Amino acid sequence: MRHHPARRRSVAALAGAATLALAGCTAGGSQGGEPSGDDGEAPSGGTLTVSTSFVINSIDPGQVYEATGALAVHAMYDTLVTFEGSDVTTPVPLLAESWEANDDATEFTFTLRDDVTFSDGSELTAQDVAFSINRLHNLAGSPSVTVEGLSAAAPSDDVVVVTSETPNPNVPTILAMPAAGVLNSEEATANGATDAEDAATTDSATAFLDGASLGSGPYVLDSFDPASEIVLTANPEYWGDAPEFDRVVIQNTEAQNQKLAIERADGAMIALDLSGRLLDGLAEGLQTSASQDTFYFVTLHQDPAVSEVTSNPEFVQALRASIDYAGLAALFGEDARPAAGMVPTAFPGALSEDEVQVQDLDAAADHLAASGLTDPTVSLMFPAMTYRGVDLATIATKIQNDAAQAGITIELDPQPIAAFLDAQSAGNVAFRFSPQSLNYPVASSLVNNFAPGQPSAMRSGWSADLASPEMIAAGDAVTASIDPDEQVTAMQEWQRLLNAESPFITLAYNSGTVVATADLSGADYSPAGWQVDLRAVGRG
Amino acid sequence: MTTSALPAVRAPRRTARGSGSAHTLGRFLLRRLVITVFLLLGVTAVTFLLVQLVPGDSMTATLSETALADPEVVAAYRAKWGLDEPLLTQYGIYLSNLLQGDLGVSTQTGRPVLGDLLTYVPATLEIALPAMVLSVVIGTAVGLYAAVRQGRAGDQVVRVGTLLGLSTPPFWLSLVALYVFFYLLGVAPSGGRLSTYLSPPPRVTGMFTLDALLAGQWMVWWDAVQHLVLPVAVLTCLTVATLVRFVRSAMLEVLDQDYIAAARAKGLPTSVVLRRHVLRAGLVPVITVSGLAFAALLSGTVLVEQIFSWPGVGQYAYRAASGLDLPAVIGVGLFVAVVYTIVNLVVDLLYGVIDPRIRLS
Repeated sequence: MRHHPARRRSVAALAGAATLALAGCTAGGSQGGEPSGDDGEAPSGGTLTVSTSFVINSIDPGQVYEATGALAVHAMYDTLVTFEGSDVTTPVPLLAESWEANDDATEFTFTLRDDVTFSDGSELTAQDVAFSINRLHNLAGSPSVTVEGLSAAAPSDDVVVVTSETPNPNVPTILAMPAAGVLNSEEATANGATDAEDAATTDSATAFLDGASLGSGPYVLDSFDPASEIVLTANPEYWGDAPEFDRVVIQNTEAQNQKLAIERADGAMIALDLSGRLLDGLAEGLQTSASQDTFYFVTLHQDPAVSEVTSNPEFVQALRASIDYAGLAALFGEDARPAAGMVPTAFPGALSEDEVQVQDLDAAADHLAASGLTDPTVSLMFPAMTYRGVDLATIATKIQNDAAQAGITIELDPQPIAAFLDAQSAGNVAFRFSPQSLNYPVASSLVNNFAPGQPSAMRSGWSADLASPEMIAAGDAVTASIDPDEQVTAMQEWQRLLNAESPFITLAYNSGTVVATADLSGADYSPAGWQVDLRAVGRG
Repeated sequence: MTTSALPAVRAPRRTARGSGSAHTLGRFLLRRLVITVFLLLGVTAVTFLLVQLVPGDSMTATLSETALADPEVVAAYRAKWGLDEPLLTQYGIYLSNLLQGDLGVSTQTGRPVLGDLLTYVPATLEIALPAMVLSVVIGTAVGLYAAVRQGRAGDQVVRVGTLLGLSTPPFWLSLVALYVFFYLLGVAPSGGRLSTYLSPPPRVTGMFTLDALLAGQWMVWWDAVQHLVLPVAVLTCLTVATLVRFVRSAMLEVLDQDYIAAARAKGLPTSVVLRRHVLRAGLVPVITVSGLAFAALLSGTVLVEQIFSWPGVGQYAYRAASGLDLPAVIGVGLFVAVVYTIVNLVVDLLYGVIDPRIRLS
């Protein structure tokens, strides 16, 4: 048969398109292999690429709360003290060269270094520190809860005094958080910032601080796009040792793509979301660092008006006994552990492995019989999302199956995250499941949140009236402890009582993980909130 | 010989050309403009209403527990975003601002929605435009080929191929493309618009390839082109399947017409018959589908953008919806409505260019 010219042209068009496509496909990848000699190129010190699935609203220190924001803010803003590597037990000096507390841990005096300058070259003083801490407190933003009850003053240029309304030996740890990063107060004020008591309604600096950094850290902000990337560049005025990278690009990447990208990277790359099953089969040569700092738990509402079932204490214990904790932890991946108490093992105060909860179906049956409930059915609400590499629906299904073995019927109710948070805040969800991290790396912070009558407890109707005197006393003992060892012991006792009578069932601990290419040093996972200390990451 | 199209061909009158046709075109455009205004009003109203019906609000998504517990902060937030006004008043304020070109401020990014759209739309355009051009070229060529080869092996292959293309989920194809071309073969970047060691070119259009060309940054341009390849290829694969089916069926219909048989009987070369008679007559439905496909590309590439870490309007819409960011959600809704309106207008005008009978009627 004769060939149609049109047919030949169609084939030619296809071939041309394919050639074009292949001609374009000559890239090695987005990471590594930095060429030189053209404009638009980064400076010669190299680029560190950090891939993470963005969780971010702002990079204003006074508003930063989410993981991605904390990562960037920690690199741009110095704090009075900090933590090194994965250790969150001992604060080390940063802006403060020394500090001391009074006897009842209500007043902390920090003496500042005298050689610190902001990125614009101006000198950092105690007034800047006090302004930043007070602004954080008065903004009433998400991170403000960490400095509740604290206030700061600057009696001289190099001394900051932080006062706590109640005895609190953890003040230095709290002030290591990225939200307590120190701003250039003069510049910040000129751009709408204020530390006045009405800052929550009058401060207007967040939009400015989302476009420019006013800190004294080793990196400064180059650009910020909440959808795609945060670009940091080395601070030429940095008062300490210059960072090894001239440029850090934190890019928004799906977890699965992070795995592909880091396995093919030439070097200088970090991935932050390869937890759980995503770590299976990871290429050799990559380094990983992890720490179990997150717990997963279910909450049962204690108000009979919300649910006659979940408010029944015997039902709570029946459900607690029905869970296969080890099997559930296995679903999170190798690094996960079944829970003993509420405090994850990354923090002092966690219960020992001997106290890990175990499934006991006989006990579950006894409790269910004692509850007087027949064939109880409850609906379990949870956010329909993948968190740290784990699909929460998988975990919810496991809970459903375990409970079914004890004669409890659970109907799954996955919700979009915004709807879940809204329902949770409204405080009328009968039964819910979610992950939880600590506001700051001190186990006792959980008491401020989960003790009877505290915010998270009240969202499940667990008021102080419903708790035993022992439970109340155990919480008081934690907050009254000034000695760290004493606080650890008190914290453990508090958790044992939580397991006995609270509406919270802690299921498992999971870890955040830093995966880095082999050429990097200092890429340690930190449970402190910033995940990895970008200022400490170097080559070799 | 007579054809069924003859009555329509007779319709033209001399007055329909020149100033008369310009007048008609003016009225047509004016009518379209009025319809568009009502359409956009409808979009704002429906979006506004739907967002109110969704459980949760932006305040819960934005404010902390501490802030939510403070009545003063809550009141200030509600006043700042106009949430303390009755619903109708809120809508009225929004429309009033809209008339002044103010789409509001995104509660998530804290930036004007218009500025956000101007940032993210060019990124989407940068992948949608080449994908559309490639889809039209390939879709028309392959569709025509399949029509000419109807029932033969080539046609069967094309039909199976289009079926596969239509039934392939975008996210799956994106993941497979990344796995094969980036991970296994190492011939494509992993995602994003530019390698991390490069800075974007000075912004003029917002499209990196064009801006790099304008700035004379050749390395940036080449890198941006490389980053375009996989997302464009995936979008092309997904769009071309639809086009091939439409082109094939449109061309088959034309190939059955008597005038095609007459042209062949006259001894015209096949290439001339296909180009002058078949292709032109069959292009009208193709233009319709192409227009809709282009509009869909501009407004519906969420999954592809997500997987290729492409910061376009799809991702912005997703974030806005997740965070119950009302101004951004309405802004995206308006953008989509405007896109569809403009595309439909262009399609209608193109009808006239391709088929004079439509222009004159």
